[in-house]
Amino acid sequence: MNPFEIKDCALLIRMSGLPSAMNLRELRDRIAFCDQDVLFHHFCETPLVPSFDLPDYRNDFAVWAKRRLGDDVLAERLGMIDPYSLPTLEDLRAATLEVIDDRLSEVIMIPWARPGQEFHFMQSITVVFDTGARITHPDELVSAVSRMTNSSIYFHVLEARRRHAAGLDDFSAWLVGGDGQWSHYIHAIESIDVTFFTLPELRRKLIEVLTTVVADPGRKGEDL
Amino acid sequence: MNRSLGDYEPIVGHAVIHQLRTLGKLFKGLRVVHVNSTSEGGGVAEILAWMVPLMRDLGIEAEWKVIGGTPAFFSVTKAIHNGLQGKPVILTTQDWEIYRGVNAENWRELRDDLESADIVVIHDPQPAPLLELYHNRRGKWIWRAHIDISRPSRPVWKILRAILQRADASIFSMAQFAQALPRPQFIIAPSIDPLSEKNLDLPEEELEEIRGRFGLDPRRPLLVQISRFDRFKDPVGVIQAYRLVRKVLPVQLVLAGGGATDDPEGKEILDEVKDAAGRDPDIHVLLLPTDAHRTINGLQHLADIIIQKSTREGFGLTVTEGLWKGKPVIGGDVGGIQLQVTNHYTGYLVNTPEGAAHRIRFLLHHRDKMRQMGVTAREFVRENFLLTRHLRDYLTLMAWLLWGDNTHTIVV
Repeated sequence: MNPFEIKDCALLIRMSGLPSAMNLRELRDRIAFCDQDVLFHHFCETPLVPSFDLPDYRNDFAVWAKRRLGDDVLAERLGMIDPYSLPTLEDLRAATLEVIDDRLSEVIMIPWARPGQEFHFMQSITVVFDTGARITHPDELVSAVSRMTNSSIYFHVLEARRRHAAGLDDFSAWLVGGDGQWSHYIHAIESIDVTFFTLPELRRKLIEVLTTVVADPGRKGEDL
Repeated sequence: MNRSLGDYEPIVGHAVIHQLRTLGKLFKGLRVVHVNSTSEGGGVAEILAWMVPLMRDLGIEAEWKVIGGTPAFFSVTKAIHNGLQGKPVILTTQDWEIYRGVNAENWRELRDDLESADIVVIHDPQPAPLLELYHNRRGKWIWRAHIDISRPSRPVWKILRAILQRADASIFSMAQFAQALPRPQFIIAPSIDPLSEKNLDLPEEELEEIRGRFGLDPRRPLLVQISRFDRFKDPVGVIQAYRLVRKVLPVQLVLAGGGATDDPEGKEILDEVKDAAGRDPDIHVLLLPTDAHRTINGLQHLADIIIQKSTREGFGLTVTEGLWKGKPVIGGDVGGIQLQVTNHYTGYLVNTPEGAAHRIRFLLHHRDKMRQMGVTAREFVRENFLLTRHLRDYLTLMAWLLWGDNTHTIVV
């Protein structure tokens, strides 16, 4: 097994060039045609966006529906879309449009945002760089994870799912190379519901489950 | 005082500093020149005062150039500044000539430095006409807007836009502040320096000295608004809010701000505020020297609640400063304050003096809530709004300028 290369990334947010949306109909129309990077940003890159807030929902569309459109029903439905459970970004787009179309068919009046509270469509540029650090054995994962930045955790655990066909995180993709020898580590990582953690929380959770595996290699992920 | 990145490690952790050093290696020897119009006073000068030394610490050949100007020039740029923030202003052809003329004079002095730089960052509208003057530029030119230009006065914007579209990219503090420009527009939120005199922890004796110096009563709640004397900061509205609270609670109010060399309107507004304050001994209107950072810091530390009741605001660094000091902030429901203050979480957003008074009274009756807000606020700032994040954003932008194309990911 080759050593695991610890990478890090930095996010630079840019305007997508799409007109902002004032109401739910405009949101729907923009989502239907926006670049995949825009969808990815608003669903998946939110943990890296500087914020003073910890909103109820982890995707920007749900947050906007709740706070700016005042549509709690729509927010709850959008908030439950798990971008990592869908195979492609086009599937994610279809799932989002389905929820919005359902809501548009239910409401009598199209919900509008106040001026100044429009939805701005953004995307990001991600600069990926090698930290120079390496993990040579799975037992080193705990100490390596504890030293990683939030953005490195994001890159290897969340962003990785866009890169690997099977939706794997980078650690699991590396451990798979051990021909089943490290499946207990993979189960442990799989047991984490990544969507509902902030990055510092995700790091703590990773350390927690991996520490358990190191202490008791016989335990399976489901037991953690 | 120039600091090194290592000085910030106890605050942000080793991983963050290591990340910056790793990224920084990519840009060793790169010449980056920042240009603005004042070396002291105001948020831009404060940002550049730390950013340039830290870029140098990473091996980047960073420089900071300040354009000079006449009082007439700064009156025009203040009007442009106001116009961009939505205030109706009248600018004559002669005013625009002054604006361009002073920049042309500065150009003669700065030309060699700017044309040979790898990256030039023009901050705010004052030096923007430099974008029109280069002919043999070598590097990339960026325009950095620190203000909210989402609803500008159209005549002002029409002329500015023609100038600004010559930049290779522009940076705004929030998406809500941006205007359509033909080149890429990036979003980089500002930040504060936790080790600056404005933000470091002060010894108790110094806080007591500051309290005594301004005759503040330690037994009564203190409300503090720190900002330039500017109509958009609504200092008179803060006095109205204070008076509504004062009817039922024995509060004190400090309105303190420094003057900036590029803000000729300040004196006029200060007089209006003094008139509004009248002879009330519990309203302290303080015009502080531009270098009174420790005093401002002390006043924020002494405050029970920080107020920033702006009616227009770019980002509002004083809000972040207040949050870093573990204080709840009552802010105007506008601009960057909306991003920083979350109702019931880090403070309250308000629209009127009545709204501010209501929230002040609520908080002063719920001290536990105030404390919890303060703890939450400080951690949010540590994670997202310290200069280390800001510096990383600039390094990321530099990577895009050097190696970026239209793809999502740049592997360096």
